This record gives sequence, C-alpha cells and structure tokens, in this order.
Amino acid sequence: MKRLENLPTLRIHPEKTLRFEYRKKKLKGLSGDTLASALYANGIRIFSRSLKYHRPRGLYSLDGESSNTCMQVNGIPNVCTETTLLADGMQLEPQNISGSPEWDMKGFMDNLDWAMPAGFYYRSMHKPARIWPIALKQVRKAAGLGKISPDFQMPGRYDEIYPTADVCVIGGGPAGMSAALAAAEQGLRVILLEIRPWLGGFFDYRTADNGNGTSLAQSARQMAQQVEQNASVRVFTHTTVVGVYNNNLVTAFQKGRDGDSFEERYLEIRATSVVVASGCIERPLLFDNNERPGVMQIGCAQRLAHTYGLLPGKQAVFSIGHDLGLEAAVDLSDLGLAVACVADIREDGQDPVLLAALKERDIPFLRGWVATRAQGSKTLNKVTLATKTGTLTKEFACDLLVASAGMTPLTGPLSLAQAKLAYEPYTGFFIPKQLPDKVQVAGRMLGLNSPASIEASGQLAGVIAAADCGKSVEGRLQEARAQLNQLPGPDQGCKLVTAPVQGRKTFICFDEDTTIKNVKQALEMGFDATELIKRFTAAGTGPGQAGIPGHNLPLFVAQYHGDTQATAMPTTMRAPLVGTFIATYAGSNHDMCKRTPVHESQKNAGGIIRRIGVWERARYFSEDLSCREEIENVRQNVGLLDASTLGKFRLWGPDALKALQRVYVSDMSKIADGKVRYSAMCNDDGCIIDDGVVVKKAENDYYFTTSTARAGATVEWLRYHTRYDGWRFHMVNLTDAFGVINMAGPNARKVLGKVTDADVSDAAFPYAGYREFMIQDTIPVRSMRLGFVGELSFELHVPSSYMQTLWDILLDAGKAFGIRHFGLEAQNVLRMEKAHLIIGSESEQRTTLHDVGLGFLWDRNKSDAKTVGAVALKQTENQEDRLKLVGFKMEDPSRTPKDGSLIVDSRIRGHVCIARHSFTLKEPVGLALVDAPLAAEGTRLQIYEDECNGQHLHATVVPTPFYDPEGKQLKM
Amino acid sequence: MTVEIKRRSPLTFSETPLKTEVRDYWTVVQEYEAENDGPWVIDLSHRSRWDLQDSDLANVQPAGALIPDAPGHCAFDNGVLINRMNRTQASIWHLAGAPPELPADAACTETTDATLFLALIGRNIFAIAEKLTALDFKDPAKTVPFLYQGPFSHVPCQIVTLERTTGSGGILLTCSRGYGRDMGHAILAAGDEFGLRPAGENTFLRWIEALSA
Repeated sequence: MKRLENLPTLRIHPEKTLRFEYRKKKLKGLSGDTLASALYANGIRIFSRSLKYHRPRGLYSLDGESSNTCMQVNGIPNVCTETTLLADGMQLEPQNISGSPEWDMKGFMDNLDWAMPAGFYYRSMHKPARIWPIALKQVRKAAGLGKISPDFQMPGRYDEIYPTADVCVIGGGPAGMSAALAAAEQGLRVILLEIRPWLGGFFDYRTADNGNGTSLAQSARQMAQQVEQNASVRVFTHTTVVGVYNNNLVTAFQKGRDGDSFEERYLEIRATSVVVASGCIERPLLFDNNERPGVMQIGCAQRLAHTYGLLPGKQAVFSIGHDLGLEAAVDLSDLGLAVACVADIREDGQDPVLLAALKERDIPFLRGWVATRAQGSKTLNKVTLATKTGTLTKEFACDLLVASAGMTPLTGPLSLAQAKLAYEPYTGFFIPKQLPDKVQVAGRMLGLNSPASIEASGQLAGVIAAADCGKSVEGRLQEARAQLNQLPGPDQGCKLVTAPVQGRKTFICFDEDTTIKNVKQALEMGFDATELIKRFTAAGTGPGQAGIPGHNLPLFVAQYHGDTQATAMPTTMRAPLVGTFIATYAGSNHDMCKRTPVHESQKNAGGIIRRIGVWERARYFSEDLSCREEIENVRQNVGLLDASTLGKFRLWGPDALKALQRVYVSDMSKIADGKVRYSAMCNDDGCIIDDGVVVKKAENDYYFTTSTARAGATVEWLRYHTRYDGWRFHMVNLTDAFGVINMAGPNARKVLGKVTDADVSDAAFPYAGYREFMIQDTIPVRSMRLGFVGELSFELHVPSSYMQTLWDILLDAGKAFGIRHFGLEAQNVLRMEKAHLIIGSESEQRTTLHDVGLGFLWDRNKSDAKTVGAVALKQTENQEDRLKLVGFKMEDPSRTPKDGSLIVDSRIRGHVCIARHSFTLKEPVGLALVDAPLAAEGTRLQIYEDECNGQHLHATVVPTPFYDPEGKQLKM
Repeated sequence: MTVEIKRRSPLTFSETPLKTEVRDYWTVVQEYEAENDGPWVIDLSHRSRWDLQDSDLANVQPAGALIPDAPGHCAFDNGVLINRMNRTQASIWHLAGAPPELPADAACTETTDATLFLALIGRNIFAIAEKLTALDFKDPAKTVPFLYQGPFSHVPCQIVTLERTTGSGGILLTCSRGYGRDMGHAILAAGDEFGLRPAGENTFLRWIEALSA
C-alpha cells in the first residue's frame, strides 16, 4: 500500500524499512509504525476473530481500546498491536482463529447467538447436574484469548523505577503539556506521562488552524519542544497509567524503544499533586455490525493518514456526532479519500466553516442521520444510513465507515483517585463534581473543544497544582482563571446512544461480544443497575477494560429506564486500567535474602541450601535426606553447624535488667558471671514465643540470643513492653555482626583445645558456662557451653568478618577427630532425640510455657517488674484439657509418621510436631502435642496420616528425653 | 595446613582487582581493572562503624564532633560521618583519614561487622537508586549530607547522600551484612545500563577528598 508522503505530521521514517512476519509471510513496515499500522499498510484488514461468535474484527481505534487487534507477537499472546511499535524481525500470529482470519471454521458461531443470551452460562447447562462438568470444559476451552505454555520464558528485560515529583501530569496533550509547563514555571519538579510515543495528544495529527495561523500539529510540536527542553519536567512517553492511589501514588508502565535497556518498565510515582489531563476517546456509535472491519473511529482514520501515511480506504461514509468528524471528512477528502456522504447525528450546532468546506468539496451532508447497518460478510462493502427515527433510509457502497457518536472523557484515573463523577447533560460527559485533595483536572475532559481553552485549562490546573505544593501563586492563579474565563467554554455534546436498531448484532462490547440485545435481555430479567448488567453480560470485562462500552453502557441503561441519563453513572474502574505483562510488574525481581558468612563454603562442601524465612541455610550435606552420617558423626565424633542466623543483641543501661525481667519468664537477676542463662519469653497469654540464652557481660550490660524467627521483632518487643516505664536502656541488634558456630560432639573439646590457649576443660569451662577468649591469638570469640543437640557443645560467637576463617581453622584442626559439617535437618533429629524443642515446631499459637514442659523456667516470685505473660501463666498453670507436649515411640518400627499428622480417636486430639527415625535409638520416635488426658506415659496414640486410607498408625507415649536422659553427654 | 587469618567482606565483586592492601586482616581492594569513568560502586565494609546510643546525645561528642540535633541530619568532618537516627541514636562511619578515637564508655557499640557498607558515586547515581527505592534523594528541601532510613531494593538501609550536584552524586549505604551479596547484585544489575562498575577504595578516597576540599 502506497504511503502518503511529505505530510508534516508523519511519525514514520520512510527511509528505514523494517521486516516482519505475519502468519509466516514476510512483510515490510517502516520505522515508526505500530504493528497495527504496518499490518494495515500490508493490506491486512481482518486482525482477529471475536471471542464468542468468531466474528471478523479489524482496526477500530489506535489506542488499544479493544482486543480486536491483539495478536501473538514473538510468542507472547495478547500483545496490543495498536500500541506496540514495530521492530525488525517480529513474528506475528493472529489469535482466536480456527483456520485463518478470513476463513474461520468457527465463523458459524455467529448464527448461534440465539443460543447464547445474556448470562447463558449461569442459566443453562446446569440441569441435569451431570451436564455441567462437561459443558464447563467446553466453556473453558472457548474462553480466554491467546495461548501460552506454562513454562514459557518471557524474553527481554523488565525493569522498574520509583520516581518522585511535586506534580505528576497524566496526559501529554495540549492541556497536560500546559499544566506541566505552568507547574514547572513555579520551580516544581514535574513528571509528565503520555500514553503515545510522543507528546501532542489530539493536536498531533491535525492540520486544522490553531486560531493563530499555525496548525494544531505544529503548535503541539512547538509546545512539546518547550516541555522536553524544560529541565524541571521529566517526560515519560509511551507510558500508560494503570493506577492512581491515595496520597497521589501513580502507577504506570512504559514501553521501551530502540536503545532502551528494557522491554517494559513499571513506574511507581509519588507526587504531591496530580493533574489528570487524559483527554477524551470517541464514544462508539452503536448500530448493526458496528465492528465490521472497515468501520473505524474518526481519530483512527485521521491518524492512519497523518501519522502513518496510510489512506484508510478508498470510498468512505462518515456517520458522526462531533465537528471532529466533519474536519476529518474534509481533511481526508483533501488527501484523496472519496467521501460518499457525511451523516451527522446532530440536527444543528455544526461549525459553519466545516459545513462550507464540505459543500466546497461536493460532499453530501445529511443532518440528523445515522448509520444503522454495516454490510459485507467479512469486511465492509455497504452502509445503510437512516434518520434518527429510522423512518427513511439510504444505502452507500463504501469500504470505510468512519463512525463515532461523539467524545467521552477518559475518566479512569479520576475514578481510581476517588473523584465523584456525575453526568453533565450539556456536554453529555461524566464530569468530576468533586475532586480528591490535590488532584486537578484539565483539558477536553471538561468538555472543552477550543484549542485555546484547552491550553488555558491546563495552565490553570498547573498553577493550582503548584498551590497544592505550597507555592504562593495567588496572582498567577487569578490570571490563569481570568484567561480561561474569557475563552469558549464546553461544547454541547451528542446525546445519541444507539441508532434505531433492534440490537441483535449491535456490539456494545467488542471484547466479550456483548450486544445491545444482551443488555436488553439483562434489563428484562430485572438487572436494573449498570454494575450488575456489566457482570451479567460481561460487557467491559475484557482486555480493553471499559474502553469501548465504558460510557455507552450506563447511558444506554439510563435511557432504557427513561432516566433522561441524569442518573447515569459509569461503572467502577479498578486498577490496572490497562493490562500489561505480569513480567512488567515483576520487574527485575531481585530475590533479596540473607546469607551467613560461611554460605559459600557450606555450599562448596555439598550443602543443600533451603530458603528459611529471610535466610538461606544449609539443610543437608548429602543426598541422603535422613542425614544419617551427619547425625552419627555428631554422636560419635564432632560436627560443625552454622547457627549464625540466631538473633543476637546487646542490651545495656541502668535499667537493662528491668527490661530483661519484663520479657523473660525467669529471674534474670540471678545470672551469674561467666554463666549463660537459658530462658523463654511469653506473650500476654502466657504462650511461649521465644527462647534463648542471656549472658551478663558487665554491670548493666547483657548479651542475649533469640531464635532466628524472632530476631527481627525482638527490639520492638522489648520497647513495646516497656513503653510506659521510662526506663533507661539501649539495644543494638548484633544478629549480623556475629557468626555462630555450634561445634558439637564428644571430640569438640579436643578440636577447640587445638586452636586456643584458653583452658576449655570441663573444670575451667563447665556446662552452661560463658567465656571470652582468642583463637590463634587473633580472633575474638564469645563461647557458650550449651547442648542443644545433646552432646558436648561449644557455641562460638565470632565477628562475622572472621567467621569463615574460624570455620576453616576448626575444620582443619578437627580433621584428626572426624570433624564434618552437619545441617539443619541433622540438628533437628539430634535435638528431637534430646527432646529439646524449637519454638514454632513443638509449640503453636495456643501453647503455654507449661504445655511444652518449660514451666520450670518461670519464676513467679520475681520482684521489681511485671513479667509479660505471668498473669496468664498463673491462670493456665493447672488448667485441665490443655495440649501437652509428649514423646512417643512407634509400635511399627518401620513406619515414621509425617510431621503434622493428626492424633485422633473419635475426634482430633492433637498432632505430631516432629517424628524421625532415630539412628541412635534405632527406631522412630517423635514429639506430639496432645490433649492432656492423652499425655500420660503408656497411652496408646492413634495417628492419622494424610492419604492413609483409614489405616491409622499407632504409637505409645514415652518419657523424654529419648537420648541421654541424665545429660552425661553434654556435661562431659 | 595453616589457615591464613582473614577478615572478609560480605560482598565480592567478580571484577579483577588491580591493587590490594591487607589492613587489619582485611584485603582491601584499592583499584580494580577497567574502572572506567564511573559511575562506581565501592565496597567499604572494612571501614569502621559504630552505633551510639544515649538518652542525652546533645552531651556526647564522638571523636570530638557534635552530633547533629535533628534526626535525618548528618555531620561530616575529619573523615568521620555522624548520622542522627532518632532521639537517642546516631551512627558513626569512618570514611577517611586516621580512625577516630571513640569514647570507651557503654554508649558505643562497634557495628563494622554487622553491615555491608557501600558507596555509590559518579554520574547517574540517582537514576540507579531510583530503580531500587522510592526514597527521594533529590528532595530540594533536604541539604546534603542527609540520612534516610528506609528500603533500598526492599531491604532496610541507612543511606546518606553526601553529594548532589548536576550530573553527579554520591550516596553511602549500609544494610544488614547477610544481604550483602544480593544487595551487590541488585545494585550492579540496576546500574548496568549506566555503566556502573566496581571501583577500589582509592577512587572513593579521591572523591571524598575532593568533596572535603
């Protein structure tokens, strides 16, 4: 198709040809083309088939207001070809076709509309009930556009940015640009968002005079240049707003161009004030076959010519309700389009200059006439026009019908910002009657049509936005108001909603194949509210959101009710206003997690890493997930566990002890020098939430540990529970400052003795002792004699930067003693054998200190401070029917129940917290929380494991610990 | 086998160091190959840092310097940066020159090993930062140096803006040491399109010297 040349408005670059494939056919386009314009240039008229009826669909608008032109591009389904720029080598495939777009085997569905009335899937195929699962499969097969494999890898790079501005302007048309410049003039930082790849809005492609001797396009480009050169204005073109939220958070996505580092990027903009100048779209004209390829909107036809150099047809009919239609008819006629007739819905109110121009060109003009039927089986070949009452008709042969009922504002951003919209009868627009704080509106959305008025309203909005930002702009504000007041106000709008048709093939929503007849069916069934009709008929729920049906639906419903449209309200808009790729929202998707100082070293030693909370930790050190060798090595030789994730804190100050007393259940004043104190924290309900050890390092200076999971909440926990006391104490979270090595096993002392001059004998450093010493005279360690895994253990706290060195030193020194790594799973089994609990594993939200057998930690006679949870502990201490933590052994030694299996009789009586085969004991053992009556030693427990098919497992309650009940191993 | 005693940073760049120096068991990279002309990310994790807490910070003068009186304000003098965090807390970062002598009383806790410490300096630093955080480094209401305590690549950080001139800038950030590797990756990935590269400590020292001049 030959392109129009030398038009000053063109956005294509004829000198740069791009190659692409459509249905495996090699085609050419030009740089600057969208996919849609390139296809149109290659003679493609049917872009897809519709969702339900498989009707042919073509180019209707150019801003992606429907799914008509969505295609699979480079393997990615549902790409909007109207808004995606052509790139070299792209591969395009049409969607929702069986055969080809021209010959679709499911085209017969168009004749079955009688079988698919509004909400048919709610009402039919349900009786008898057995039909529905079969029907459901078929409905699901038919539903949805495009196909994607679950393992499809999205190509390209997706990014995100989080810019901040004083003023964010949505819409880069004349009003938006004026607003941006006016705000920038006040020294503010402005962000301007424009959906198209360039600024200019609806001026960009129009050659009509601006009123000052320059064309609208020329003045738009001059203004765009000013904006782009203004250092205070940051312009994001090809950027679509998807959300506007409280406190003026605006979200959007931007499509990348050649040279950009991203395919698309997500923007999250925080602004003090927002100016919405998103302009208008055309309100679709409703008549029979109103979506037949060859029918398109005014802007689409005019932009095809002026932006892309494509004459949209050969012989055209115009059925319009706005002066823009008259302007386009004149303009396109001058470019070579034969215009058979212009039918204007309006009886009067047309611009006489435009009428004269039509006459001058011998273009027949019909007042009060409207298109009632587009004819042609696949593409348009004839149009029927009629008077608005339908009494007279005329037919015109044509391949292009430019159809539009008039303008309607793009109110999506305003709706999301919670602006109150109301129908305004003069303009026929939904206009904001109440704006949220620091949200302004400008331009055509207010019904303005005069270029000067549009720019002036933008300036005014920009100045008000500056006032929102605290700028003193009183004088400028008055000036801007006065200027706007002198200019023409809003134009009267066209009220016609639908041509005089029955509506069987009149589509109010293209995406969902919803017809006027469907809407009438819903109304007749009693659905009187637009919101309900929307859901029942699916109108406006497709990929184009409410682009096509958005304002026609409420207007039609109001008209049906005889409300004279005064009570019409648009349906609720929700983010995202425009759909895009999930990949765009995912962005670069850095998975931020924490690693210990010996992470790599453990991985290199065969550690199998698992994500646990915010940390990555080594869970196993071999493919044997029972960890037998790791476990037996700790019991027989010595093992190293990386316990760096434990919470670690310094607490000091004159009232530090009071703070400890408040949150720990034990009497912390009894911590002896050189000793560790194991204790627990409860919440106000007496339920255990944490445990750890506390060391007194100096007077009023403590070092304590918490479980990994509680590390992040501990400072706040102490602050919260001392908030009214005015105590003087300070805390520092040292969790990341220290790495922790748990060296455990009968040979642990031998290894430690090799690397330090400190006396680590049992006499000098007994169980529950705390010592500080140097390793190889250089590395300072804080060491604790603990026994979580039931063996002689030294917990070494070392500055994180030294951790890897110390780890290597111990591995080296321990070679002769059989040292090896052990991971979390081995630790889990080892500590279970010792019946040492992990909070969260052997406790749950309801379990108190007493329930888990740690009641001995509670000192009820503590003075000086009220202990968090003490009141509840007193009340629950002897309460019957509580859960109790018990140990159990399995009757069948070959079966170990899964963690979480239920303890049952005629009802659920508890659950298995942990159960493992114990290599030490050579049988499976576990810990369970059970109802108190089942806690007695010797009780037989029935265990219900998932998928057990009613075959319960059986276990017996036994005393704990299972291993080394006298604690000889850990105290050696 | 004797294990060499080393202190390690939470972050290692894959680029090849050209010049290194061992200092207090840290192997400090002074220069990398092909540092180019910036922007740069520089690992300063070996530089000493402290947490200072006192209920009356007005009367505390670490390294002889006054602590800024308002949260978010910072003071940079003699190579030491003091960041007021809240009513009772400040952080102290040693950036250049001789290490400061800090009061040996309880108020100070050394946190050098607790955090990753990075400098981002050069062109487009704020464009890179904008990809990782919504914090507004260009807020005209703030005067450099100033402190933000907020998310950077979703991780809680302390971030100080030290320089903010047209076309150039410099920020310092600390975050929990455990996030070191992911933070480094996130920053380098964000800075890829701007040519962000790791640089050695010498580049940082030259920059800080120019800043102090």
